[in-house]
Amino acid sequence: MRVDTAWIDGQPATPEAALRAAADLLDSSRQPFVGGLRTDVIGLRSALSLARRIGAIVDHAGSAAVYPFIVPARESGAFLAAPAEMRRRADRVLILGNAAARTGADVIRMLTDAEPDLGAATRAGKRRFMTLGSKNATWPGAQETAHVDCASEEIVDVLGMVRATLAGRRTGEGALGEETVATIASFVAEASFCCVVFSPAEFGELGTEQIFGLVADLNETTRASTLPVFAEADAMGAALQATWTAGFPLRLSFGRGAAEHDAALNASERQLSGAGEADLAVLVEALAGASPATLEAAIPAILLTADPASAGSAKVAFHVATAGRDQDGVLYDPRFGGFIAKTAQTKSELPSVAAILDALAEQIGERARDAA
Amino acid sequence: MLTRLSGGHVVDPANGRDEVADLYVEDGLVVDPPANGRVADETIDCTGLVVMAGAIDIHSHIAGGHVNTARLLLPEWHRAFQARPGETALSKVGWTTEETGLLYAEMGFTTVVEPAMAPSSALHAHLELADTPIIDKATLVVLGNDDMLMSMIREGESEGAIADYVAWTVSASRALGVKCINAGGSAAFKENVRKFDFDDVVPDYGVSSRQIVKALQTAVTSLGIPHPLHVHCNNLGVPGASSDSIEATIRAAEGSPLHLAHIQFYGYGTEGKRRFSSRGQKLAELVNSTPEVTVDIGQVMFGQTVTISSDELRQFAGSKQASPKKSIIFDHEANGGGVVPMNYKQKSYFNALQWAIGLELFLLIEDPSRVFFTTDHPNGAPFTTYPDIFALLMDRSVRAKWLEALPKSVVKMTSLPEIEREYTLTEIATMTRASPARLLGTSDRGHLGTGAVADVAVYRPDADKAKMFGKAAYVLKDGELVVKDGQVVKRKFGRALTLRPEPDKAMKTRLDRYFDDKYGLSARWFEVPEGALGRDEPFKVVPCRA
Repeated sequence: MRVDTAWIDGQPATPEAALRAAADLLDSSRQPFVGGLRTDVIGLRSALSLARRIGAIVDHAGSAAVYPFIVPARESGAFLAAPAEMRRRADRVLILGNAAARTGADVIRMLTDAEPDLGAATRAGKRRFMTLGSKNATWPGAQETAHVDCASEEIVDVLGMVRATLAGRRTGEGALGEETVATIASFVAEASFCCVVFSPAEFGELGTEQIFGLVADLNETTRASTLPVFAEADAMGAALQATWTAGFPLRLSFGRGAAEHDAALNASERQLSGAGEADLAVLVEALAGASPATLEAAIPAILLTADPASAGSAKVAFHVATAGRDQDGVLYDPRFGGFIAKTAQTKSELPSVAAILDALAEQIGERARDAA
Repeated sequence: MLTRLSGGHVVDPANGRDEVADLYVEDGLVVDPPANGRVADETIDCTGLVVMAGAIDIHSHIAGGHVNTARLLLPEWHRAFQARPGETALSKVGWTTEETGLLYAEMGFTTVVEPAMAPSSALHAHLELADTPIIDKATLVVLGNDDMLMSMIREGESEGAIADYVAWTVSASRALGVKCINAGGSAAFKENVRKFDFDDVVPDYGVSSRQIVKALQTAVTSLGIPHPLHVHCNNLGVPGASSDSIEATIRAAEGSPLHLAHIQFYGYGTEGKRRFSSRGQKLAELVNSTPEVTVDIGQVMFGQTVTISSDELRQFAGSKQASPKKSIIFDHEANGGGVVPMNYKQKSYFNALQWAIGLELFLLIEDPSRVFFTTDHPNGAPFTTYPDIFALLMDRSVRAKWLEALPKSVVKMTSLPEIEREYTLTEIATMTRASPARLLGTSDRGHLGTGAVADVAVYRPDADKAKMFGKAAYVLKDGELVVKDGQVVKRKFGRALTLRPEPDKAMKTRLDRYFDDKYGLSARWFEVPEGALGRDEPFKVVPCRA
């Protein structure tokens, strides 16, 4: 049985013909966009290299989840922890909002599955948890938790009052009242090492800055840090890789040669909606569980996908291997807070993302040489 | 292909050469002149030029999580971020991995050591290094605030067991050596300790900084790791306490090799009305009289930069002086660390004296084979300031001009105006080529003898030494011409130099269980598989000493 690995306008094609068709599309594009970027480090290296060659705008499909972290961290600083260190050291954990339990379940489980065992003061007792969010939010911990019921949109204000209370300033009643604010303030201030877990996307840039500010205040007298959790961890990995490659955490353009960064203009959502400058997208959707949402692009697309069912919506599509599943790969892991090498579970004959993107770059390079 | 570099002034102190001669390279190596009348396939005319081995930087923070965080923290310093590009604070810093490789190569540097790789960040660091073109790279893995080591010392485990643990860490992380940063200080800071001296004890472990340094020094020596334990002392930057810490650490070498990093930051006394003075002369004398010790300087130069360090305690303290006012402090496994922007101002008494103390140390430490050329990039200054530092070392009239621009109060507090020494070309080549290769155990480089890798830097002599060393006339990497007239003409990827001590199987099993039980992590995640980097032959193994 023949297995199709490439398509042009939804019709099966040879990979060679598909590469030629993709190169034709890129030749005629005024402003290409390279996005999706759901791939591993080696695939992303090729994607950034191709983007540089063709003067593309670049962003990850999940950047919206990490920018509410990146912007406040780079504008006002932060205290950041590794989950594994917090597992061993944090004696008190404050979980903010409703999203962290879902998007950071693996990270939170690292904290609930063990008791602190490092530190003269912290390892003496059991870890205590406090959640500040909606009553109906569920979280993966089995431990007893002090819950403070608070609407998500009120939390940032409440934290402002906690900061004021810790600084000895008076506060208004606010959403929770003075006594509850004082309870939260005591919980964090009396920790030997407090860990604050939250999803930046839930609180936005200013809200995240408030959380970083609270932790900075605490460090004047005790120890505390944060564990931001993200709906799309690989977007964080891609932002880090783009930073060492091009100087910026994605949302960049190679249109004028050197990388230029603009978090609004170069955002994936803007470019794929047709409201941006891009008239053609090269989209990579090649991780396990990758969402085909980016295929709703309003501009024509060249697609590298792990799911052949989504190939029909693209002008040109390639079926590629999934890094870490079909082939060995290097991926960002939120539990580790860094990159890990992942061995393939099965060996696939499918081409890697890097192989297709490098072949495409080579084809474009040959044409440029011929034209010269 | 046989290449002849003809008629250059060969400065190769490792082989005692300081003469006009031809140099031949073939298949990536320096070779003997052909005896059979064979004509070179290519000749590079080096008449009137200075020919040296490629330079080696033993301590420059160029890759890894903290370095990348500095990039992330400071987008406003990128040329392209600004509406009107041009000269920005760090436009010459070599910010991306690519720029780092290209800018180093253009100055004739062909091997650079990233000196602070956390075991948990090893793969990240090697991924960045794999994306850094042209130069060869190496890393030092950081130990000394890790629970495993401190627990082993507390439990009185044998030197052999500790050495097994160090061997596993070096091997898994693909490091070329071991570094110890404020031993115990980060662990103490996590327990809210704000000051930590050499004989202070880490709470809950009962282990002192001294014990940690000595345990690691013993392990490094017993494993035959060529590079001595690389130590970042306690109390970096604290007037008085910094000087006391480094003095105690140097005396603790006790006849075994020890390398002290960026010692400029420890040359601070408390004399004078500002309670900040130079102890450069005293520190230089101590180094001169302690032959088992080597040092690098960490020279401060004026301008905007960013400090990147795994010394979490001192970075937290330094964050109060951040300029611009923002910083990121990490509570990671073991060391943690911090990224704090810093603007060293020529008109600042403190910063100007730091600059003078660095030069005092460079010039008062007598043996150029025991003092190494660093700015602790980017902590004292970006590596792109190296040409100016060469000029300051080689030309006292340049120093005099710089001194004139300093606050008068600083000139009174430094012996620099009285120092007449000027480094010679041979001393520069010793400090930046021959000795670093010896210190790292990389005998295949740092010299131009037969069989050396053909990493060659050719400079156009100039009275202006900054001009001479800023842009090499030619650079060969593994025998290929990669830089001409200060511009990269060919891009390729070098390799990471690593040790691969054979880890003890029982220790491997023990660590598998330890990381799983204690941290909920797989020990495999700390390993750097060769295939993960996506480059052909990303590593070159350097042997341990027998």
